Amino acid sequence: MTVPSPSGPAPAVTPAVRCRSLGVSFGAVRALHHVSLDLAPGRIHALVGQNGAGKTTLAKVLAGLQAPDSGEVHIAGCKLPSGDVRAARGAGLAMVHQHFSLPPSFTVVEALELTAFRPGGRSVFRRAELRRRWQSAAAEMGGEAVLSTRIRDLPVETRQSLEIVRALATDARVVILDEPTALLTPAAIDTLFERLRRLRDDGVTVLVVLHKLREVAAVADTVSVLRDGELVLGPSEMSELSQGRLSDAIVGPASGADRTVGVEATVDGERQTLLELVGVSSRESAFEPGLRSIDLSVETREIVGIAGVEGNGQRSLVSVIAGLNAVAAGSVLLGGTEMTRAPPARRRLRGLRLVPFDRNSEGISRRAPVWLNQSALRLIGRPGRRLPLISLNQYKRQATEALDHWQVRYDSVSQPAESLSGGNVQRLILSREMAPGLEVLVAAQPTRGLDFSATNFVRRSLQRLRDSGAGVLLVSSDLDELFELSDRLLVMYGGTIVARFEAPYDRRAVGDAMTGALR
Amino acid sequence: MTGGLQRLGSTIVLVGVSFLLTALVLWISGYGVGDVFSGTVQGAITATGAATSTVRWAIPLLLIGLGVVIGFRAGFFNIGGQGQFYMGACAALVVSLGWRGGPATLVILGATAAAVLAGSAWSLLPGYLRVRFATDEVLTTLMMNFIGALVLQYLTAGPMRNPSGTGQTAASERIPEAFRITDSSGVSATVLLLVGAVIVLVWLLLDRTRFGLTMTLVGRNPTMARWQGIDVSRVGLVTFGLSGALAGLAGAVELHGPGARLVTGFSPEVGFTAVVVALVGLLSVWGTVVAAIFFGGLQSAILFLPIVTDLPPPALVLLHGMVAFLVTVKFRSARRRRAPLAPEALAD
Amino acid sequence: MEQILATTLRSAAPLVLVATAGVFAFRAGIFHLGLEGLMITGAFTTVAVGEATGSVELGILAAIGVCMALSAVYWWVIGPLGANVIIAGLGLTSIGLGGTAFALGAIFDVRGSIFTDVVLPRPVRGITSGPGVIIAEQSILVWLTPLIVLAAWVVLRRSRFGLRLAAVGEYPFAARTAGVNPSIMRLQALLISGALCALGGAELSVGALHNFTENMTNGRGFIAFVAVIFGVWHPIGAALAGLFFGFADAVGIQSQINITERVPREFVLMIPFVLTIFAVWLGGLWRRRSLEAEAGYAELREPDY
Repeated sequence: MTVPSPSGPAPAVTPAVRCRSLGVSFGAVRALHHVSLDLAPGRIHALVGQNGAGKTTLAKVLAGLQAPDSGEVHIAGCKLPSGDVRAARGAGLAMVHQHFSLPPSFTVVEALELTAFRPGGRSVFRRAELRRRWQSAAAEMGGEAVLSTRIRDLPVETRQSLEIVRALATDARVVILDEPTALLTPAAIDTLFERLRRLRDDGVTVLVVLHKLREVAAVADTVSVLRDGELVLGPSEMSELSQGRLSDAIVGPASGADRTVGVEATVDGERQTLLELVGVSSRESAFEPGLRSIDLSVETREIVGIAGVEGNGQRSLVSVIAGLNAVAAGSVLLGGTEMTRAPPARRRLRGLRLVPFDRNSEGISRRAPVWLNQSALRLIGRPGRRLPLISLNQYKRQATEALDHWQVRYDSVSQPAESLSGGNVQRLILSREMAPGLEVLVAAQPTRGLDFSATNFVRRSLQRLRDSGAGVLLVSSDLDELFELSDRLLVMYGGTIVARFEAPYDRRAVGDAMTGALR
Repeated sequence: MTGGLQRLGSTIVLVGVSFLLTALVLWISGYGVGDVFSGTVQGAITATGAATSTVRWAIPLLLIGLGVVIGFRAGFFNIGGQGQFYMGACAALVVSLGWRGGPATLVILGATAAAVLAGSAWSLLPGYLRVRFATDEVLTTLMMNFIGALVLQYLTAGPMRNPSGTGQTAASERIPEAFRITDSSGVSATVLLLVGAVIVLVWLLLDRTRFGLTMTLVGRNPTMARWQGIDVSRVGLVTFGLSGALAGLAGAVELHGPGARLVTGFSPEVGFTAVVVALVGLLSVWGTVVAAIFFGGLQSAILFLPIVTDLPPPALVLLHGMVAFLVTVKFRSARRRRAPLAPEALAD
Repeated sequence: MEQILATTLRSAAPLVLVATAGVFAFRAGIFHLGLEGLMITGAFTTVAVGEATGSVELGILAAIGVCMALSAVYWWVIGPLGANVIIAGLGLTSIGLGGTAFALGAIFDVRGSIFTDVVLPRPVRGITSGPGVIIAEQSILVWLTPLIVLAAWVVLRRSRFGLRLAAVGEYPFAARTAGVNPSIMRLQALLISGALCALGGAELSVGALHNFTENMTNGRGFIAFVAVIFGVWHPIGAALAGLFFGFADAVGIQSQINITERVPREFVLMIPFVLTIFAVWLGGLWRRRSLEAEAGYAELREPDY
C-alpha cells in the first residue's frame, strides 16, 4: 500500500525518529513485522490501528522498554542500543504510558524525582529542596499544592499532565503518548491536544497513538497506520488523506465490494426472550466506565451483536451478565427468571454459557490438563448421583469425545492446556460452552487473534448455534464479523447503548456511533 | 505426563543437591560422610526398632503434609501447620485431662474430635480473612503458629502443668494410660489403620471427587474458576478447614500415641518440615506419603546417630533448610521465556 | 520502672536493627522470611570469629560478610533461579538455625551454649539507681541503633536510591520506565538487609548477652518481620513497632517475676502476633479500597520473580 510521497518536510532534514525493519514476536504472535518508519521533527504524528495491531508494542520498542527481535531505532540520527530505557531517555525520547507508569503511593515530587533522567542536586535531599526543584513543574499542573499529593489521589487528567510534565522535564525532544485519550473526558482531551500543539510549536516531535479518527483529524499533522503488526500506511500528511481511505487502511479491505453486508433472514419460530437486561447500571472500574441503564434482550434464534470501541463498558456488561460484577440498579433475567443477585453457578445451570474476553486467563486454566479444562462445567451444580466419587477415566473419555467432535488438536488429554495453539484453545472453550443445556451464549471477542481458518470455524459455529434455536450475544470489535453474523446490532459508547441497528448495516453510521459522533 | 516426569526429575536433582551440600558441610566439619550415611541407614531402617521409629516420625509429617497438599492444591499458602498441630494437641489434652474418669473409647473419640475442630478453627480464621478480605494468608498462618506455640506453653506451664515435674522445660500431666492408642513406640494397628484411612480419604477427595477437581482449577487459575461459576470463597474455606483438621488430628495422635503428655515447644520443626515433605512429594498424595516416610526416616536416624557418629540433631534442621531453600527452584528449561508485559491484552 | 525501660532498650535494639533490615527487603518487594536465619548467623559468626581473633570488630565484620553472602545466594535463588520467595526464605531461616547450632558443636565441641568475653563496649557503666539505670550497661550498638534507623530513613525516604527501591517494590513497571533494573535493586536491598541482620544478631550475642545459645533468636527475626508490617514498611514506623515489641517483651519478663498470677506471661508475649493479624487485616482492607482505583496498576504488575 504505497502512498504518494509526502510533500511536507524537506528530504534533507534528519528524521527525529527513524526505525528500520523492526520485528517483535511474542511466541507465535507476530506483534510487529518489518516496520520501517521516519518521523519528521517538530510535528504531531498520529499512529492508529485496531486492537492488537502492534501500536503499543511499537511505542515500547521506541522507548527502549521492549527489545525488538530485529531492526533498529535511530533518534535524531543516532542509533539506539536496543531495549535500553536509559539510552532512549538520554537521546531525548520520553514516553507517556497508556495506563500511567507512576507508583501510586508516591507523591508528585517523588515521582518526578524518581523518573528524572538527569536530576540536579545531591542524591540525598530534603522535601523542601525537592519541592523547590520541581516548582516550575507544579505551575503546569495547577499550583504547588499538587506537589505533595499522592499519585493515587490525583484525578486522571492531572496524572496524565504529570506524565507529560515528567517527560518534558527530561528535556525530551521526542514525546510518545500511548492512547492518551482513552481515559479522558472530551474537555480534557481538548486541553491535551492544545498542549500537544504547544509542544510542537516549541519544536518537540510528538508521536501519539490514537483510537478515534475524529481525534486524529483534530490534532495530527501526519498519520501512520498499523495493521496486524505491519505498517500499511504513512506517515502521510493528514491534509492529503480522506477519512474513507484512512478507515480502509485501518480495517483492511472490506469483505465484499459492497460496503453493506447483510445476514439472511432467520427462521422465525416461537420467539422467547432468553436473556434480558432492564435498566442495568453498575459501578465504574479503573479501566471502564460503569454501565448506565442498559436495556437489551436476546431471544431464541438470534445473534445480537455489540459493537463499540473497546473500553466502553463491554467488559462490565459481560461480567454483569456472568454474575461476576455487582449490579447497582436494574435487573438481569435469564429465560424469564430473575437472576440479578444470583451467583454465577445458578446462571450457568440456567443455561448461560460464556466465551470470556481473554481466552488464556479467563477461558482456560493454562497449567491444568486439557481434559479438566474441558470438564470444568461439570463441576458445578448437583452431582446427579449418590456416591460423590467420580471416575477420572469417564471424565477424560467424555472430554476426549467432545474435543474430537470439535476437532481440537492435542497430543494427550493430560497435557497442560497452555500447549494448545490459540485456535485450539478457542475450540476447547467452545466444546465446553456449547454442550447441551445451552440456552444463551455470550461470546466476547471470540475470534480475536485467531488465524483465518479458526476465525471461520468460530463464526460458523455461532451461526449453527443460532440456527439450532439458541440466542447469542456477540461482543466484538471486528465490524466485519458483527455485520456478517448479527441479526441486530447494538453500539456501546461510554457504558451505555447509544444506537441500535438492523441489517443491512451502514458501516459509516455504525462507525460514527462507535466513536461517539452521534452524541 | 512429560511435565510430571520433568518435575519429578528436577525435584530429585534438587533434593540431591541439598543432600550433597549438607554432606559437604559435614565433611568440612570433620565428620565421616560414609559413617553418617551408614548410620542414617541403620537409624532409619536396619537397626532394632528403627523402622518403627521411622513410621512414628513419619505420621505427624504425613498428616500435616497432607493438609499442606490440600491447601497448596487450591492455591492457598497455608503454612500454619505447626500452630494447628499444637492446638489439636492442646484440645485433646484438655478433653483427656478434663474427663479423666470417662470411658476410654468415648474420651479418645471426643478428644480427637476436639483436636480436629481446634485445628480447623485455627486454620479457618486466617482462611476466612483470606477469602473475605484478601488478607495475606502467609503472614496470618505464620502468626497463628506463634500464638499456638504460646497457648501450648501457657497450658503446659500453667493450668495443665505436672506439679511434680522436674527438668527445665514445662510439661503437662500425663493422660491416663487407658486413653493411649499406642505404646511409647508410637505405632500400633489403630494408628496405622487411622493414618491409612486418612491417606485413602484424602486421595479420594483430591483425585476422585468433583470437589478435588474444583480445588485444582481454583488453585491453578481462580479467575477462570470464577468464570466457570465456581464459588472460589467456599472452596477456600473448605480447604483451610480440612488442612487445619488434618494438622489437629496429628496433634491428637501425638498425644494419645507416643507422647502421653505435652511438653512446651515439642516437635518445633514439624510444621515446617511438613511443608518441605509436601513440596518434595510434588504436592501429590502418594508422593507425600513417600516423602513423609523418607523424612521420618531421617528424623529417626538423627535420634539414632549420636550413638554412631556423634552428629548433633541440628544437622537435620540444616538439611531441611537446604531442601526448602532449593526445592522450588525452576530449571531454565522448565521456565518459559518471560512472558512480555501482556503484549496487547492491555491495549485498551 | 527504670528496670523495665532498660530491659526494653536491650530487647528492642536487635529487633529494631532486624526490622530495619526487613524494611529494606520489603521496600524492594521481597517478603523476606529469612531474617531469623540471617540474624542467628550474625550472632554466631560474631562470637565465633570474635573468639578466634579476640577482636569484636573483626567478629562483626565477618558476620556482616557472611550474612551478605547468604543474602546474595538468597537473591540468586529467588531471582535468577525462580524459587519461591517464601519457601526459600523459610529455608534460609532453617539453614541459619540448624547451621549455627551444628557449627557450635563442630567448632567448639559444645552443645547448647557458649560463653564469650569478646564483647561490645558499654559506654555508660556503674549506675545502679535512678533514671540513669535506663542507659547504663547498654552496649555501643544500642547507642548506635537510633543513628542507624535515622540513616535508613534518609536512604529510604530522602534519597534517589530509596525512591527507586520503593518503585521496584510497589510497581516494577514504573522502575523500568525510569530506566532502573529491578533485579539489581533487589540485590542491593538484600545485601543491606543482610548487613543489618548481622548487626542485630551481634547485638544479641555480644551486646545484650555474653554468649551464643542455640536458637537464641527465638523467633525475634519473625517478630522483627512483624514490626515491619506493623510499621507500614516505614523505617521509623518499624523502629517504633520494634521498640513497642521490646517493651512488651520487657513487661513479659517482669510479669514472669512479679505478677504471674494475674497476667500469664504467654498472653503478653502473644501481643505482637495478635496485633499483626489485625494489622495485616486492616492493611488489606485499606489496600483493597485504594486498589479499586489502582486496578490498572495491579494488572500491570510484572510477575518478576
